[in-house]
Amino acid sequence: MEYNGGSVVAMIGKDCVAIASDLRLGQQSVGVAMNFDKVFPVNDKLYYGLPGLATDVYTLREQLRFRVNMYRMKEEREITPKTFTHLVSSTLYEKRFGPYFIEPVVAGLPSPTELDPHPKPFISTMDTIGCITTPKDFAVAGTASNKLFGVAEGLWEPDLEPEDLFETISQTLLNAVDRDALSGWGAIVHVITHDKVITRQLRARMD
Amino acid sequence: MECAFAITGKDFVLIASDMSAGRSIIQMKSNENKITPVGPNLAMACGGEPGDTSRFADYVDRNLRLYHIRNNFPLPPPSAASWVRRILAESIRSRSPYAVNVLLGGFDTTTSKPHLYWLDYLGTKADIPYAAQGVGMYVTLSTMDKWWYENIERREALDVLNKCVDEVKKRVTIKFDFNCVLIDKDGVHSLDLKSQDPIAELEAKVAAMKPSDPEPIIPSSDAPAIAAA
Amino acid sequence: MTAPGGSSGAYSFSLTTFSPSGKLVQIEHALAAVAGGTTSLGIKATNGVVLATEKKSPSLLLDTSVLEKVAPICPNIGFVYSGMGPDFRVLVAKARKIAQAYWKMYGEHPPTKVLVQEVAAVMQQATQRGGVRPYGISLLIAGWDSHRGQSLYQVDPSGSYWAWKASAIGKNTVNGKTFLEKRYNDDLSLEDAIHTALLTLKEGFEGQMTEKTIEIGVVTVPTAEQMQENSGERLPPTFRKLTEQEVRDYLAL
Repeated sequence: MEYNGGSVVAMIGKDCVAIASDLRLGQQSVGVAMNFDKVFPVNDKLYYGLPGLATDVYTLREQLRFRVNMYRMKEEREITPKTFTHLVSSTLYEKRFGPYFIEPVVAGLPSPTELDPHPKPFISTMDTIGCITTPKDFAVAGTASNKLFGVAEGLWEPDLEPEDLFETISQTLLNAVDRDALSGWGAIVHVITHDKVITRQLRARMD
Repeated sequence: MECAFAITGKDFVLIASDMSAGRSIIQMKSNENKITPVGPNLAMACGGEPGDTSRFADYVDRNLRLYHIRNNFPLPPPSAASWVRRILAESIRSRSPYAVNVLLGGFDTTTSKPHLYWLDYLGTKADIPYAAQGVGMYVTLSTMDKWWYENIERREALDVLNKCVDEVKKRVTIKFDFNCVLIDKDGVHSLDLKSQDPIAELEAKVAAMKPSDPEPIIPSSDAPAIAAA
Repeated sequence: MTAPGGSSGAYSFSLTTFSPSGKLVQIEHALAAVAGGTTSLGIKATNGVVLATEKKSPSLLLDTSVLEKVAPICPNIGFVYSGMGPDFRVLVAKARKIAQAYWKMYGEHPPTKVLVQEVAAVMQQATQRGGVRPYGISLLIAGWDSHRGQSLYQVDPSGSYWAWKASAIGKNTVNGKTFLEKRYNDDLSLEDAIHTALLTLKEGFEGQMTEKTIEIGVVTVPTAEQMQENSGERLPPTFRKLTEQEVRDYLAL
């Protein structure tokens, strides 16, 4: 976790969710790359972040991409955020006694169905072996998680509109990673709404 | 790895590595080549556990060559980097992991773009414009931070590289000799850092070779090119 | 050459050898085993699915309450079969395991189609692997899922599967299907479907039709309120077997 550094945060808004990460890849105290994305799309309603050991970020991402593609073909439908969370959890638990050093964060908007026409925005996090938590407000993970908790606790409020949610999550992330030596070096934010995903790179402290 | 670093430019990649081999404070060899060509336009600097480095470089070389022979097309640098990463990532969770750190530089002839990948023994991969590994990392990264710029030309990049070499010689207690390769659309060329103008020498060599010589399928240290007949 | 115990010649011997006419004769034999089995049928309705089967007892002395021909696989899917009972139990055990493995992976029960495909794959394997014989049964699979709603499938020993609005397997298939074709329409309710199922079963039923000699399973489509009650945490159980009392009530009508 502390070897490569990096942090992810997700937040629930009004009919929207946001997920953001820093862009640093380090080798302990040395910064190696400032383009290391830790948040990936599953589809245009569902994103997930994988902060932790960088080699496992790649491996787990490839594994999940494989499994989601197989799911999509077998079931002829898109995976829901809740089901995807379970899939990530199962994938992590398969390596219970030699875990991936990753604490995933999932953020998505479930599509409305006939039986559930107004589904709630969804976020979840897991520990390294896949124990799921589904918060109603925000989820944090990574080397700056303690700072993220603090700032998010102060800034987040219920039912934020997409633009306000963007501001809230951006300020939360930037201010938390500035106090963390292992996170930072740029940031990227995705706000998922029903009709589009807003993705923005943030101007951050690059030192 | 004791010390290696690499720089991408407009249409090329430079990789330099030290040539020392030894144990703890004893240097047994000062002309060990640690940069292996692993494709027509791809080269890899390997550092880490001495036995592992050469075995790993060989393994990568042979597999990429096999791919080239099977498909009559070399694996492009981004795909090669993904493959090398996968090998390292699988290796780290195996019974006998390769303890090697890699700089993989290549020129993608399909898109005409240079690529440089920083990989460590865990299977971490970074796609970056300039990179360093080993003890030299601490001094060369800041040198490159200061002097590198986008679309840098060959001579200027070589100047940056020489600044890095000088910095290593100045700041690192152990004395290293370096060798260097340049990878561009024409292949993997070794540069003589001691010469007055290595780029001019290289240009002369390429110009002399081009019209007559058929492009070798894969330049390699030992095996002859397959298309020789 | 005459194959042992068979009259169809050399090609009936090896399971994995095609006959010159392009048939795998063992599969045809398996279908014959199905055609000899007791009748089962299924009907899809607007708000559910019904599965019904005849439970035949060779002797008065047999305690038929232990026999189970309609089997729940997971809360939203149930099977019924025609053909060989022991083969059915093996497939039910496998299907339940597949359903549990799915639940373990995704935290929800499998959609009907996915389970059907998995079970069909198991049956197909038995037509290609060495040292095995095809399953001597056809299945009718009824289920509900949030993606496709209620559905009814048939799987044959070859591993082929179809989605039906209504179908019959086993003895009297042809008569049963003709009867269903006459009775079926697209806006049948579950209640209507249950009655149609009983009427179809009655055609060609040997002996007295009672709650002891038939079995019925139903899929009921959950209402939006039912979904809300569980706040989407789990699907409400949508497949269940009718109790003897319920069957008696339907027969009395």
